[in-house]
Amino acid sequence: MAELLLDSDIRIWVFLPIVLITFLCGILRHYVSVLISTQKKVDLTQLQDSQAMIRSRMLRENGKYIPEQSFLMRRHFFNNDESGYLKTVKRASAPQPMTDPNMMVEMLKGQLTNMLPMIAIGGWINWTFSGFVTTKVPFPLTLRFKPMLQRGIELVSLDASWVSSASWYFLNVFGLRSIYTLVLGENNAADQARIMEDQMSGAAMAMPQDPKAAFKAEWEALEIADHKWALKDVECDLLQKAEVDYLVNSQSFVNSS
Amino acid sequence: MSGRVRTRVDRGTGEVVAYSDAAVRNNLAVIEYCRTSMAALSGGTAGLLGLTGLYGFLFFLVAGLVLWLLLLVKAGNRWQRFFVSRQSLLTSGIFSGLFTYILCWTFLYGMVHVY
Repeated sequence: MAELLLDSDIRIWVFLPIVLITFLCGILRHYVSVLISTQKKVDLTQLQDSQAMIRSRMLRENGKYIPEQSFLMRRHFFNNDESGYLKTVKRASAPQPMTDPNMMVEMLKGQLTNMLPMIAIGGWINWTFSGFVTTKVPFPLTLRFKPMLQRGIELVSLDASWVSSASWYFLNVFGLRSIYTLVLGENNAADQARIMEDQMSGAAMAMPQDPKAAFKAEWEALEIADHKWALKDVECDLLQKAEVDYLVNSQSFVNSS
Repeated sequence: MSGRVRTRVDRGTGEVVAYSDAAVRNNLAVIEYCRTSMAALSGGTAGLLGLTGLYGFLFFLVAGLVLWLLLLVKAGNRWQRFFVSRQSLLTSGIFSGLFTYILCWTFLYGMVHVY
């Protein structure tokens, strides 16, 4: 396959601008979403519920570090049939997110910062820089990749490793994802996929969809949780270690003196 | 993030090792930063050198290995205080930086060698 000779103006006016535009749009999107996002208002009962759930889960996971009696006491607080927290507290089932106007606004904002720039910039790049062969990936590819990498130029005889401008844009969108993490910090808003995950997990964390069912599940899990004392021989271990340390230290003291 | 404590049983000695979940997660985040930087830098290097085909991917693997060795040197012989397992440190995220690597590689290769 003969080498293509590309005009170096393409590099300056197409290749570089696409990288810059993609990168700066990601940054812009991050700051815009920071700007328009509102602090989520927390409902007191919701907070109470989720904190109780967290406490109960911690008890299940870390209960082995407290003596058995303490464990049983805490479990009694949650699980007792007459007075246990998980048994006595009754909550109405949670409202559906679709009927809650605040949720709708929140979702709309998310969509606004996600999809709109994506479509707009993609379309704009497609329109402005259409039909350029911009670069070549430095490894051979099979013909399968042609429609993926050469969007916008339908040339049968062109080698599959040449990349068109539109596809270069998409390569950038995916490749810059971890660079954003580097530049903007861990929980940035530049990455769409992560935002979707955030929305999902955020909603689930703030409010277990149905507190009643969640309480019941937690009650069951706590009921079958078994207490296994993890610090059984801790005194012996500690003494042994102290002894060894002492011996080593005195040894070195003797040696040095 | 609550400072939850998780435990795991050490296979060699059979004793229970407790570690803080939040600290481990923080360490992994730092490692992720290192990995991304390494992917970007090594991608740039590969592009400048004009590596093509398999050599480029080999270079990526070598870079990942070097990063792993550097991390181990940094952690010293107390690596158990920072990471749960050495092997997973090498293998877990080695392909997470691949896209970044390919992007940087393609970018600099295109800038230098194609035009």
